[in-house]
Amino acid sequence: MISGPAIPSFLRAPVPRALVLNGGLVAGPELDAAQVLLLRALGERGYAVSTLVLRELTIAPCRGCFECWVRTPGRCGTRDGAADVARAFIGSDLVAFLTPVTFGGYSSELKKALDRIIGLLSPFFTRVQGEVHHRKRYARYPALVAIGLLPEPCAGEEEIFHALARRNAINMHAPACASRVLYGAAADATAAAAVAAALEEVAVQPVGAA
Amino acid sequence: MSGRALILAGSARARGRSTSESLAGYLGERLTGHGMATTLVRVPRLRRPASLAAFLEELDGAELFVLAAPLYVDALPHLVTRALERIAAHRAGTGRAAGAMLAIVNCGFPEAAHTRVALAICRAFAVRADLEWRGGLGLGGGELIGGRRLEELGWLTRNVTRALELTAAALAAGEPVPPAAVELMARPLVHPRVFTAVADVSWVQRAVRHGALLQLGARPYEPDAAER
Repeated sequence: MISGPAIPSFLRAPVPRALVLNGGLVAGPELDAAQVLLLRALGERGYAVSTLVLRELTIAPCRGCFECWVRTPGRCGTRDGAADVARAFIGSDLVAFLTPVTFGGYSSELKKALDRIIGLLSPFFTRVQGEVHHRKRYARYPALVAIGLLPEPCAGEEEIFHALARRNAINMHAPACASRVLYGAAADATAAAAVAAALEEVAVQPVGAA
Repeated sequence: MSGRALILAGSARARGRSTSESLAGYLGERLTGHGMATTLVRVPRLRRPASLAAFLEELDGAELFVLAAPLYVDALPHLVTRALERIAAHRAGTGRAAGAMLAIVNCGFPEAAHTRVALAICRAFAVRADLEWRGGLGLGGGELIGGRRLEELGWLTRNVTRALELTAAALAAGEPVPPAAVELMARPLVHPRVFTAVADVSWVQRAVRHGALLQLGARPYEPDAAER
């Protein structure tokens, strides 16, 4: 083994950060298994990963008051767990949503958190791909990966899920976005390959890959 | 169709402050005019278990379920999503008599196209809850209504009121939402450039009122550069 002088911290490549937002309504083997797959895949790619199990946080529903834009800009006036979600979200290079597919959309637990972090955007408008959207507040936003779980395939709901992830990516200024739907227990090789493919789609390669 | 319509206004805002309630109220009055008995419930009420139980019981006896909701982050708000989860669980596999469903989604962007995914979610919910899908209406620029009665807004909401009148007539006759109503509702209330200019001025005015003008571009969660 060859040893040498330690590399100064300012020369070291920064460790990328990932945030997993677990939107499961209750603890259960399906989402737990998917979370294990996701954490393993992110770890293999060199990410420092944080996980927030949203049902375990106290997060009040968004009141639609826009105070996070006009009274305390960038920060919701309701002080609870949503502030932790917002800080972790914008401090990450990649955010992964993990959720039961709910009528094609996200679970109410995941939605509760997402509704409360719109202060990460500016209230002012800009045009993106020919549509009006909110401007950036921050210089950088994380890539998004949405992993949904269904008991069995449902083409209609899966199409909605993928469309929602794409819309979120536009509105949240994500530099890249991928989404996959897993079925059943979600712990088999097919599920692992789907998670890996989603990460590769947002240009996240395993450490050491060419 | 005579019978009962249960209308859920899906905004968390206080009574009389939401566009969803304005739309729900106007449609409800038109349905009443066509002989239907209507009940309007605001979604925050469903956080109370007793209120939710009463709502589910009323839904089981209703011929028509109307959801009027705002768009939050490209989809239905948390409170509405949670209510729909509860409804679907309540109705799953029970063989209850199928009612019908209409959804109206309004958004704060000038283009109604932003509401498409949320309306698709509503339609998927209808399938899961064994409700016959009668159609969806998407409205852009909803903030211009802001809880006021549609009748008071005259020219601004002329297409909205006409769309809701056509919709009420169709629903009362047991028919789906007519394409003309969908098209009228989707027409911008004002030109998108006018909308964004007015809205941007409004953000500044509101920040001034709160003494927050100079903080409008604040980045309170800016990550430490060394951390990233």
